[in-house]
Amino acid sequence: MTRPALATRRRLLGAAALTGGLLAMRRGHAQQIDLARATSFIQATGEELVAAINAAGASVAQRRERVAQILRRAVDVDGVGRFILGRWWRNATAEQQQEYLQLFEQVLIRNLSARFGEYQGVRFALGRTQARTEEDALVSTIVERPGNPAFGLDWRVAEVGGQPKVVDVIAEGTSLRLTTRSEYSSVVTRNGGNVAALLTAMRQQIQQLSAREGG
Amino acid sequence: MTVIPKAGSAATAPRRRAGPVRLAAAFLLGLALVGCASRPDPADPEAVAEFEQTNDPLEPLNRRMFVVNDGLDTLVLRPAAEAYRIFIPPEIRTSVRNMLGNLRSPVILLNDVLQGETQRAGTTLGRFVLNTTLGVGGLFDVATGYGLPGHGEDFGQTLAVWGAGEGPYLFLPALGPSNPRDLVGTGVDAVSNPFTWISGGAWLDTATAARIGLQVLDTREGLIEPLDALRQGSLDPYAALRSAYRQRRAAEIRNPAVSSPAARGTGFGVGAGVDGPRR
Repeated sequence: MTRPALATRRRLLGAAALTGGLLAMRRGHAQQIDLARATSFIQATGEELVAAINAAGASVAQRRERVAQILRRAVDVDGVGRFILGRWWRNATAEQQQEYLQLFEQVLIRNLSARFGEYQGVRFALGRTQARTEEDALVSTIVERPGNPAFGLDWRVAEVGGQPKVVDVIAEGTSLRLTTRSEYSSVVTRNGGNVAALLTAMRQQIQQLSAREGG
Repeated sequence: MTVIPKAGSAATAPRRRAGPVRLAAAFLLGLALVGCASRPDPADPEAVAEFEQTNDPLEPLNRRMFVVNDGLDTLVLRPAAEAYRIFIPPEIRTSVRNMLGNLRSPVILLNDVLQGETQRAGTTLGRFVLNTTLGVGGLFDVATGYGLPGHGEDFGQTLAVWGAGEGPYLFLPALGPSNPRDLVGTGVDAVSNPFTWISGGAWLDTATAARIGLQVLDTREGLIEPLDALRQGSLDPYAALRSAYRQRRAAEIRNPAVSSPAARGTGFGVGAGVDGPRR
């Protein structure tokens, strides 16, 4: 995302605070995401994720498989993955693009499954939902883990192919996809614009994460 | 700023009897030259756009400082924070955090006022009065229970609200991620804090030293997990932290109308917005 676009989004966020009549006007748009639908989507997805993470008696592999199913359905993995690779997407060969998206999905899943232990007993509460732009909504949640400080986690939800999908996760003001984009781009740039270097790093990362998963 | 070779030639220049000032100047100049990132090819607009967006012209120098900081942290700060967590019971750590937050109230209040945020200033004042009295000198955060949740504020944010740009991204050992604006802010915060000026007597000086020491321990303790996750889980921790810091500061400056109960502090380093996560 370019900086001006970000600034525009910020302004839109401010405008969204006025809501009321403005929102009613926007409802007319075909692309407009239904806020109630976005909220119930996050509620349902969140509950499924929490249940999968906390599933007593299930092995780590079983729980990971369950989490993978949920993420594949709820997250716009391809869209987010492409956004994150940004300008390097076009530099990549078709095979690299394909492998990248597969690795990216694995990174998402393994990042959660490697932390099942830490997330044990996780709960979440829905906050409010606001229109963010014409196409997406921001659903706020508060995540609590036993013995840990609660933190704010916002979910950006957009309609993708007629279905609500998560397109970003924002932890305390920090967007995961912006941070990851910056990180991946830095890896490619520092390796002379070579996307293959990023893929190697991602493969290593997945290996490390699965090693941490243990049993 | 593609003058990197010059730095090498300066270093190998014959050493005459240079005065300390000239030596220091040469050193700083060398550092600045070595520290400058080479600008991307101007023919590639996307690369140029990214370079400008990243706002890190001193990246090579910053990365070196990042490594220095990492060593310092691994050897000293993180073990100290671990020890603090292991040996001090959570109830006491919470009280310490509450007390440190209460002692920051004057600075937060000042910046609320400087930003024209009257309602937030009222909240800060109310919190200070309630927590200092009913909260036994700040040990307990009773104000949150009365509907006055805390928020952070610092002079770096005030400068931003006044229209100052952040300047190039900086990474400094011990202070962590910053920029000229937030660095000035950190200095002004320290100077404008009345507790900085209370002295006279070994007791008070010890108390001030203890406050600063506890602040560092408390902040780092709250960051054990996030920074561990960053170190282990990121393909480029430096770039990830840079992006996270800048996003977080931008969010703080905006003062979102509904902040989550846990929203405060930059969460990184002990520079600007010194708070760690609250319990």
